Amino acid sequence: MRVDILRQQSPESAPYWETFEYDGPMDNSVAGVLDYINYHDDVVNADGKPSIRVGWDCSCMQGVCGACAMVINGTPALACETLIRGLKAVELRPLRKFPVIRDLLVDRASIHENLMRTNMYIGEYQPSTENDHAHQYAAAKCLKCGLCLEVCPNYVNGHTFYGAAFANDCYLVASRNRAKAKEIGAVYAAHFGRDCSKSLSCVDVCPMKIPTLASMAKLNRNKAR
Amino acid sequence: MKQVLVIGSGISGLACAIRCAKLGLRVELVSPYPSERSQSVMAAGGINAVTDRCEAGDSVACHIEDTLKGGGFLAGRDAVTGLCGHGAEIIRYLESIGTVFSVNAQGRPNYRAFGGQTYKRTYYCGASTGKQIVTALVMEARRFEAAGLICRRLRSCFHSALIEDGVCHGALLFDEGSGALEAVCADALVMATGGQNALFGRTTGSTQCDGYAAGRLFTQGAELKNLEFIQYHPTTLLTPQKRMLISEAARGEGGRLFYDENGRRVYFMEDRYGPKGNLMTRDVISREIDAAGRPVFLDVSFLDGRIIDERLPEIRDLCARYAGIDIHTTPIPVQPSVHFFMGGLAVHLNHETNIRNLFAVGECASIYHGANRLGGNSLLAAIYSGNVAAEAIAGRSGAGKHPDFGKMLREERGKLEKRRQTDSRFPVMYVRDMVAETMQKQLGIVRSEKNLADGLEDVDYCISVAERINYDPNVMPYFNYSLPALLTLARATLQCALFRRESRGAHYRCDYPETDAAYQCATLIAYNGGEPRTRLDKEGEYES
Repeated sequence: MRVDILRQQSPESAPYWETFEYDGPMDNSVAGVLDYINYHDDVVNADGKPSIRVGWDCSCMQGVCGACAMVINGTPALACETLIRGLKAVELRPLRKFPVIRDLLVDRASIHENLMRTNMYIGEYQPSTENDHAHQYAAAKCLKCGLCLEVCPNYVNGHTFYGAAFANDCYLVASRNRAKAKEIGAVYAAHFGRDCSKSLSCVDVCPMKIPTLASMAKLNRNKAR
Repeated sequence: MKQVLVIGSGISGLACAIRCAKLGLRVELVSPYPSERSQSVMAAGGINAVTDRCEAGDSVACHIEDTLKGGGFLAGRDAVTGLCGHGAEIIRYLESIGTVFSVNAQGRPNYRAFGGQTYKRTYYCGASTGKQIVTALVMEARRFEAAGLICRRLRSCFHSALIEDGVCHGALLFDEGSGALEAVCADALVMATGGQNALFGRTTGSTQCDGYAAGRLFTQGAELKNLEFIQYHPTTLLTPQKRMLISEAARGEGGRLFYDENGRRVYFMEDRYGPKGNLMTRDVISREIDAAGRPVFLDVSFLDGRIIDERLPEIRDLCARYAGIDIHTTPIPVQPSVHFFMGGLAVHLNHETNIRNLFAVGECASIYHGANRLGGNSLLAAIYSGNVAAEAIAGRSGAGKHPDFGKMLREERGKLEKRRQTDSRFPVMYVRDMVAETMQKQLGIVRSEKNLADGLEDVDYCISVAERINYDPNVMPYFNYSLPALLTLARATLQCALFRRESRGAHYRCDYPETDAAYQCATLIAYNGGEPRTRLDKEGEYES
């Protein structure tokens, strides 16, 4: 199977495409393919020339940590969750919304910086009266992987629109501590509500299937009150 | 203000950092990745506690006895009493910071049955308890980050401790961004680096937890304890990329283990141990599966579909995605896999090692679980140990002036630079893979003198070549500099397993199949200048 990877040796260097031939098991995931290319044998590209190991992140290898988020055949997804069964070729790119560190490794620190900048913490648990436990459970599973930001037409790294990962944390905090609902409503409006164009592509790519639209609806309703 | 360096930002590191900050200490929280990537998010089933809403008949005393018994009576009673005695307080705390527990009709955290426990006392968040706790603790830490009391240092790896005359003064850290080594002094160093999963290759755990920190500190004088006790989780799903945990929650909710014999299902755990057979401790079930010598399945398909969807959704999704199995209708093929390490850095009751101001918390510390850990006790221990270490650090005066570690820094920088200058293509991962294969093979569920001696021979070979090979400079420098200490840890683990000539908990020797009262104490191992020496802790050196 042909594997095309958009590579980049350092944050400053120019990206380039390199093709590898994968001849491992076809019940593997994209993460398994990358592992195979790196360590099955000496790294040789499809032209038979020696190459260097492909940089990428992983930790859990089962879709619960978000480390291996990348763009796979044009769609942002987790490499460890994307099975290659039935695929004829795989094209891998780093998430383009974040600075590249090396190859498929990107710097997603801005996700956390935005949450810190807006004091996104629950504090004392004082639940809202709404019975939306399942929604809170889902929101708290956000991986901070960045897939929702990659696909978002409004998100630009370093700008003031913080995207769906931020909106879902806003919802979680407001629903777990009603005393913070007003404060959260203000930062939500400033960094999400005002500028979201509602493409909702974030919902489609979320590996945790977080109902972002419902988070938005509840936060907007809070604001209306 | 006192400075604390916490290495590792999973649940135990977060708990320690938060408690330190609450006590007015300033914390640097060091990790290569954000907390969302830590192994803690993979903890599935729950956290044990006896609260005022416990099952009729349950008590803290019963939790203590279950923990001691499940651990083969190796853990210290005082340590376990402290752990279990704080369960209720920890559940209250987690609730108070907004952890999204699964709740009962009154909206309070719910509990379920778990293995090796007399009563139901495992509080849970679906089958993603670790992830939900991490989310709550990350938010709580953020509160103290905003106040300037916790400062995160990301893309930073532990290299060595700064130790002089038996006192720790901080750590050498490797910064992946700048590629530089830096000496960071602190009044206390807290290791929260998790278990040794990657030393065994593909396990249920994170690829990031490899035991390097324990191995390195061992060579720097820290004693290790109970390394031979490695927990095999009985129910994991084998996939090409890893062994995936099928949480004990599946059996806690009623799941049954069976194998097929001539077209008939044999529920071997129930046949052998009675109606609660599927909830025996993990060491017992893993050995039974191993002894069955044929494919074993875990069946939850007979459960009410709503129980699966509401309490086990993560297991349902994992089986569907990676194995194409609908657990509503089809049993799950399961195998035991390396899962948790009862052994690690030896610590006193206050979580300090034998080196002053060097603490260890969470899975990298060995104290509560004895020869086998009960499911649900690891999350409890992660938080409790973080709190205990923080209190101990706050309760003593600072180290004052720190010595100059410039010479050590220059030497280690030189070694790192030498590795960088090579043009070798030899991947350090090949050696890591070789060792992992040895560890899996020779430290399996059933061990023997011959197995372990063969393992030692293999690891000794790796050690003999490790320093003579130049490694691929395009692999993360961490992988390059961590190899010698990892090999030393592998060797120490085999040596401890050879030393214990009995069977107890997770350590089963087919050549010594009985439990021997003479071994009813922890194994300690000291580096001893490169000639590691094992001994039994007969005097209870770490029980105070």
